[in-house]
Amino acid sequence: MSLKYGVLGLLKGEPLHGYEVKNRFEAMLGGTWEVNIGQIYTTLQRLERDGLVRPVGPRGDRGKLAYELSPDGHKALDQWLAEPDSGPQQLHEDIYVKLLLATRIANGGLQPMLARQKRAYLQRLRDLNRLEERARRDGRIDLARLIRGALLHTEADLKWMDELSSERFGAEGAPKE
Amino acid sequence: MDGRAFFRAFRGGGGTKGMTDLVSLTDVTKVYQGGITGALNGISVTVEKGEFTAIMGPSGSGKSTMLNLVAGLDKPSSGTVVVGGTDLGKLGEAGLARFRRDHIGFVFQFFHLLPNLTALENILIPAQLKGNTATVRARELLEELGIKDVADSYPARMSGGQQQRVAIARALINNPTLLLADEPTGALDTRTGDQVMELLGQLHRNGQTILLVTHDAKLATRHAARVISVMDGKIVDDARLESPERAPSDVIRVRGEEASR
Repeated sequence: MSLKYGVLGLLKGEPLHGYEVKNRFEAMLGGTWEVNIGQIYTTLQRLERDGLVRPVGPRGDRGKLAYELSPDGHKALDQWLAEPDSGPQQLHEDIYVKLLLATRIANGGLQPMLARQKRAYLQRLRDLNRLEERARRDGRIDLARLIRGALLHTEADLKWMDELSSERFGAEGAPKE
Repeated sequence: MDGRAFFRAFRGGGGTKGMTDLVSLTDVTKVYQGGITGALNGISVTVEKGEFTAIMGPSGSGKSTMLNLVAGLDKPSSGTVVVGGTDLGKLGEAGLARFRRDHIGFVFQFFHLLPNLTALENILIPAQLKGNTATVRARELLEELGIKDVADSYPARMSGGQQQRVAIARALINNPTLLLADEPTGALDTRTGDQVMELLGQLHRNGQTILLVTHDAKLATRHAARVISVMDGKIVDDARLESPERAPSDVIRVRGEEASR
């Protein structure tokens, strides 16, 4: 996703200037997404150009300008929230391509690769568990839910490694029926 | 003595002076006649006192067999199983029964409580101490595990989570050297399972050595710093996980795409 709707969503509550948007956005994401202030200003300018936000009030100290949602901005945000995420599944991590390449060139190195990856996922599960505990301790139930989603994803990745490990791979790497 | 001091005083004692390895399996093979699943194929592994170790693997991989051998509930076809300095292969049936009573607490997936006994009576079944001392102790465990309200209830009147807590109290009544748990959350809903695991985590923090068999990697990694993976009767991985304080962005990155328009 782009920052666009995150910014719109924050402005729905109350008018904010650029730094407030940045701080609230990062706080909402609990440090899992860091943005630089330049991205925020660029996003605000584009939103203003497209008529979704508009400046409100006079420039504050050091020329800070607060923005609020326009009626079109409200509409765009509501529409986005109502739409299910139906785009293609995002597989960003290297392992997907590594796996495809390894089945062709690893020459028997596939099992160790799966074992190493599995261990990395176990460590990630442990880290996520600790992060979730911390979020709950801090009263950040929304963040704990996000982390729970990540935990379940990683569990699925781990199961995938197990499934691949129990397959029989031929010399050329392609799975044998 | 309050419940907590009681826990500290009794946790993880017994028979391991001067040793770091509490459990030691050497070249352990278990063959079942008819080739049914769960066999073990030359496993060697040690567990230190105070560790919380999870054993993971698909069903039939041999993970429960490992636990049963450590508990002295089953005998290996070959190899040695040493627990707390005792070579289980050298014990006869009576010796094994005594070993289990003195050193092992076992928690099962389906609780295994006797239906015609109350919670308190169930907890007292394996008690070595008799009479009032044992009852006092059992009541302290009920309190510590948050189930004193069901002390006089029968299992049929308890929730799954309460039954498993009673089963854990029963497993702890003799201050076992080793607490073994075979899928202790398998019959519980997620929330109750979390609570039972939290309880095991607390026991571990109080010094209890725990061996946990589970298929739930989320729960395993939450409490166990060591995860042994078993497949087809062999240990395929023995991971010691780290627990550093990590910044959120080092663990999760919610990915944003640069706005392009």
